[in-house]
Amino acid sequence: MTSDPPQTGGAAAGAQALAPPRTTRVWPGALAMALVPVLALVAGQFLPAYPLRILDMILLYAILGLGLNIIVGYAGLLDLGYVAFYAIGAYSWALLASGQFDIHLPFALVLLIGASLAGVAGILLGIPVLRLRGDYLAIVTLGFGEIIRVLMNNLDGVTNGPQGIARIDEAHLFGWTLSTPQDFLYLLVAMLVVVFLFVWRIQESALGTALSAVREDQDAARGCGIDTTRVKLVAFALSAFVGGGCGVVFAAMQRFVSPESFTFWESLIIVLVIVIGGLGNPFGALLGATLLILIPELLRAYADYRLLLYGMALVIIILARPRGIISRPFGPSWLMRRLGGGKC
Amino acid sequence: MLTFEHVTKQFGALKAIDDVSFEVRPGIITAVIGPNGAGKSTLVNMAAGSYGVSSGRILVDGVELQRLPKHRIAHAGLARTYQNIRLFDGMSVVKNLEVALVPPRVGRLVADTFGLTPRAAAEERRARCHDVLARLGLAPYAERQAGSLAYGQQKLVELARAIVGGPRVLLLDEPAAGLNHGETELLKQHILALRAPDLAMVLIEHDMKLIMSISDTIVVMNRGQVLAQGTAADIRANIEVQEAYLGQPGAIKDIEAAARGRRNRVRIREGEGLTWHQP
Repeated sequence: MTSDPPQTGGAAAGAQALAPPRTTRVWPGALAMALVPVLALVAGQFLPAYPLRILDMILLYAILGLGLNIIVGYAGLLDLGYVAFYAIGAYSWALLASGQFDIHLPFALVLLIGASLAGVAGILLGIPVLRLRGDYLAIVTLGFGEIIRVLMNNLDGVTNGPQGIARIDEAHLFGWTLSTPQDFLYLLVAMLVVVFLFVWRIQESALGTALSAVREDQDAARGCGIDTTRVKLVAFALSAFVGGGCGVVFAAMQRFVSPESFTFWESLIIVLVIVIGGLGNPFGALLGATLLILIPELLRAYADYRLLLYGMALVIIILARPRGIISRPFGPSWLMRRLGGGKC
Repeated sequence: MLTFEHVTKQFGALKAIDDVSFEVRPGIITAVIGPNGAGKSTLVNMAAGSYGVSSGRILVDGVELQRLPKHRIAHAGLARTYQNIRLFDGMSVVKNLEVALVPPRVGRLVADTFGLTPRAAAEERRARCHDVLARLGLAPYAERQAGSLAYGQQKLVELARAIVGGPRVLLLDEPAAGLNHGETELLKQHILALRAPDLAMVLIEHDMKLIMSISDTIVVMNRGQVLAQGTAADIRANIEVQEAYLGQPGAIKDIEAAARGRRNRVRIREGEGLTWHQP
């Protein structure tokens, strides 16, 4: 995704606009997209375990970013409690595939259950809070994230409280055992592709149009006949669904969960992934996740100053690219225009 | 047909709209005029569902709008433009229009998204948007970001967005405000071209020249009440109303006094003269 031609000038853009509308050119975008999994798969063959684990985390956060993007990037609703859905997914695997209650469900099933539970939680959260806008919504979702964490911390009988749940089953997916970072790399690449296509479909569909309208001007959207409340609920549910799925994978990867993994800090990181990368832009999530996971790893040598440098790096990025690194919104159509010269 | 039935709107102690009743018939252009604060925009905002009514009813083809959720009003056949342009600035022009064609049922929307229903519907919607854009001379700007267009073009995009869904009632809230002479002339041609037997158009405007040249019937409002209603010719003939509209000192008071003096409510059929309503 690097062979962008230089930005077209005003005159050229005008001439392009005069051309009759063409149908979507899929190939350039698909090609750029295919590059990511290919690179990851090659890396999986050659890299040792430690960098692979980092790569896994990058992919996981990229997927989380894609999911959060549905609600923050497309619908324009700042959700600071996204980690709650991630936690619901993680605890689904921890409780349904461990010695905790001696339940051992298959991974694929729990992936579905965990994602669906999170989706339902998204709707339940959405119903009361969607009347709120902007800062108010952000605060309430932040509270929701904390409530879920506190709940996990205090439901000793179910979640083991702060001690967390260990002895979680090894995941098996259609006869394939998921244990090494390499196994998870393949799983996560597959998930990334699926979620990417999922998000792309949303963006290019009437649902995406409706969500963008809600983001731009909610009242005018309603005036145009958009059922803003339900559309936002759908966005919440889809976003939460992705978050839940990530949680299941996270729990399967760590084979240990505790409330500590689901603090507000995590929510903030996921928001940063998309803000840094570029809001409403699927490629932005990938780029943002890479930076946010990689920078602290690279700074390990400077342990004492690590957080300071990390913070400084983020501030510099925000100063240099206030609208995210890939600042042009609405990714794929834009990318295809850039790569293919066509319109969508 | 858009019908106002004894509509009243109270903002605290202020009666912004006071027992207003009139009909907006399809096939013609109805202008609503009056000085600032007469209640013209309040009327539009109530019809569009932005404000509730304090009492009375507003109906589109017999459907009472106040009983519908706000987003349903568009599906009942009412579309509007805004006094201050309210486009979806960050989206392309054609996407702005597509918003008005998004399927109303959310279940259908989700099914559409994940490919369970044919894509033909989406293609058709898009074609319809391009069609409307072409009719308003906006085809070259279809892929441009709406917020980046010139003011006059944005006004036209708003008009395009309002008509793309095929409304039966179209509310135009000061469409010519801020337009230069040439743009106003262009707008006039477009509005006249929109006139159709099944479309009731309401035009709220300050540009008297535009109103007089395109309105079939005119409703004069003042202080929340309908002062007079008649054809453009009737209103033009009535110098008092013109003065009231132009805001000459004392003119409105004179009209009110004249109307009060009559006490009897004279109803004259359209074309035969002014209809005076008791204030």
